[in-house]
Amino acid sequence: MNIVVCMKETPSTTAEKSFSPDMRLERRKEDAIPNPFDEYAIEEGLRQQEKHAGSTVTILCMGPATATDTVRKALAMGGDRGVLVSDDALAGSDAISTAHVLAAALKKIGFDLVIFGNAAADAYGGIVPSATAELLGAPLLSYASKLDVDGSTATIERQADIGYNTVAAPMPTLVSVVKAINEPRYPSMKGIMASKKKPLDTFALADLGIDPATVGAAGAREKALSAEKVSTQRKGEIFIGNEGAADRVVAFLVEQKVL
Amino acid sequence: MSNDVWALAEIPSGKLANISLQLASKAAELAKALGGEPAAVAMGAGARDAAQDLGACGVSKVYASEGAVYGEYLAQPYVATLAALIQQHQPKLVLWGGTNFGRDVAARVAARLGLGIEYNVNEVALDGDQIVMSVPAFGGAQTVKMAFQGEGTKLLGARQNAFPTVRTGGSATVEDVAAPTAPANGAKITGTFGTEGAQEAGHLGKASDGHDIWMPAASRAKLEEAQIVVSGGRGLGGPQGFAQIEDLAAALGASVGASRAAVDAGWIPYGHQVGQTGKTVKPTVYIACGISGAVQHKAGMGTSSLVIAINKDKDAPIFGFCDLGIVGDLNVVVPQLTAAVKQRKGQ
Ligand SMILES: Cc1cc2nc3c(=O)[nH]c(=O)nc-3n(C[C@H](O)[C@H](O)[C@H](O)COP(=O)(O)OP(=O)(O)OC[C@H]3O[C@@H](n4cnc5c(N)ncnc54)[C@H](O)[C@@H]3O)c2cc1C
Ligand SMILES: Nc1ncnc2c1ncn2[C@@H]1O[C@H](COP(=O)(O)O)[C@@H](O)[C@H]1O
Repeated sequence: MNIVVCMKETPSTTAEKSFSPDMRLERRKEDAIPNPFDEYAIEEGLRQQEKHAGSTVTILCMGPATATDTVRKALAMGGDRGVLVSDDALAGSDAISTAHVLAAALKKIGFDLVIFGNAAADAYGGIVPSATAELLGAPLLSYASKLDVDGSTATIERQADIGYNTVAAPMPTLVSVVKAINEPRYPSMKGIMASKKKPLDTFALADLGIDPATVGAAGAREKALSAEKVSTQRKGEIFIGNEGAADRVVAFLVEQKVL
Repeated sequence: MSNDVWALAEIPSGKLANISLQLASKAAELAKALGGEPAAVAMGAGARDAAQDLGACGVSKVYASEGAVYGEYLAQPYVATLAALIQQHQPKLVLWGGTNFGRDVAARVAARLGLGIEYNVNEVALDGDQIVMSVPAFGGAQTVKMAFQGEGTKLLGARQNAFPTVRTGGSATVEDVAAPTAPANGAKITGTFGTEGAQEAGHLGKASDGHDIWMPAASRAKLEEAQIVVSGGRGLGGPQGFAQIEDLAAALGASVGASRAAVDAGWIPYGHQVGQTGKTVKPTVYIACGISGAVQHKAGMGTSSLVIAINKDKDAPIFGFCDLGIVGDLNVVVPQLTAAVKQRKGQ
């Protein structure tokens, strides 16, 4: 089985983040990590590979040229090779452009099973997986908390409004996973060493036959106008001690017309 | 293109979701300002019946499409219907809600038709013809103002509870829309489990892979839709601590949330996690019990109208963004509060 995991590079949670004057996220290479949600996708790819002998796992990332380091961080968990799509014209791409690029790369790589995280920890979009599925004319088994592949069918469990659903799709299919699906492994020392030698191809837009004018800032359908710090003006009343605390809360709820 | 503004309705288990009323209310407001018609698109079982509530929130037309196919597949049939309607009527804006359903459907429609799409929108303002949206960035520490560019219908994704429900008391005409045929290679729903006893609060059992199935009481709102949320963190000291939280939530008619520390400890299932890697809530009142107030937790509850914190550490960060902070022992204060609320409500 040809398994591809889509992994986005995101700034680490604790990194100082800011916008540049042209309203792009200022990315510092040393702060970049694989999107924490994509660790579940990578782990699931590796578990499927362990279950299905002869499978390969490719980590696919669209990002800046320096994201090779981030792809290698992902490959330290496991997997056979990395593919980075990188091109200066991609800077400022919106989610739909990203989906176009991933869809074209997936066609070029070939796939039976593509695994996504359910969202990226930078902007919490969560729309790239289904947009990519649409462009490939493929099904998406979204928000999977369990995945089984049997012959030419993939089946997931996902939380429904009440209880859970099982959902099945014919392969090739795309899947997006939630945190509940597994516990990602930590890269071992051996894994980190091995990742340095794994094949890592870089594709430019020309390799995918994509017109640079349709992606990146040039093709974006949305633009950022300005950013401002959020000031929360909360009352911040502090009540010290257990004695009378419950009554103060009730009085507060009554004052606020909640009770 | 018209100046019409649509709301994408969501009808899980045949019951219109609260977010749909919020979107319908906003669609009505924006359509009025733009001089277009407000409408809603409702698909699946209950679509025609949903027109009454959607109309009461100000939309004058509901495109209703019913058919078994909607209950059988994820996203794809909804996408087929919505994309065809958009192509036919060219509304200016389609509002969709930031739920799993909303993301799956809206992203496919945007990809299919090449439309602009924005998500996690908290506020919308019109600046002449330009639609200016406020979107949180960096875990809510900043607000970014976004605008669409280019031609065509735009898809605007709103956060849960971003817009209030405004019942103006109008009514909508229903335009029936035929359901599409089943997708050739669809994601097909093949079964449902874990619904037994869903009326009861609490633990329903285990899924086939061992994870817990936990259901809030049917009478209680979903976490994202709740007007009051009572959340517990590591300060509860163990899973039994959630019994106190449950009691207080029941007395207040609230939903139960949790910090990641409590979820990771296995005290409560992941579906209750509030924060950067959990759910985003925006209730009228958020009561944090034994939660320190890490930035990642704040990212999921920082826009609640009122925050009450109960924590024994006076230096806990949560006291930096609450309206009422109780420096005390939750094991004493929470049961007393439950009793006081019950007394006040005459329960
Ligand atoms: C990538 C990433 C994503 C994350 N996502 C999330 C997320 O989505 N949601 C989330 O919540 N966290 C998230 N976290 C974790 C977050 O950083 C914190 O570790 C977590 O929120 C802490 O949970 P807590 O407040 O319950 O525990 P603690 O920080 O341990 O706080 C417990 C508090 O309880 C108080 N306490 C103890 N006993 C009592 C008592 N008897 N009475 C009153 N108070 C008492 C203590 O004073 C303390 O302040 C994330 C972290 C990372 C790195
Ligand atoms: N630039 C990218 N490269 C590879 N995968 C991506 C990229 N952007 C998004 N994804 C995938 O899509 C998921 C959702 O991302 P998003 O829609 O950006 O929140 C992520 O968890 C990744 O699996």
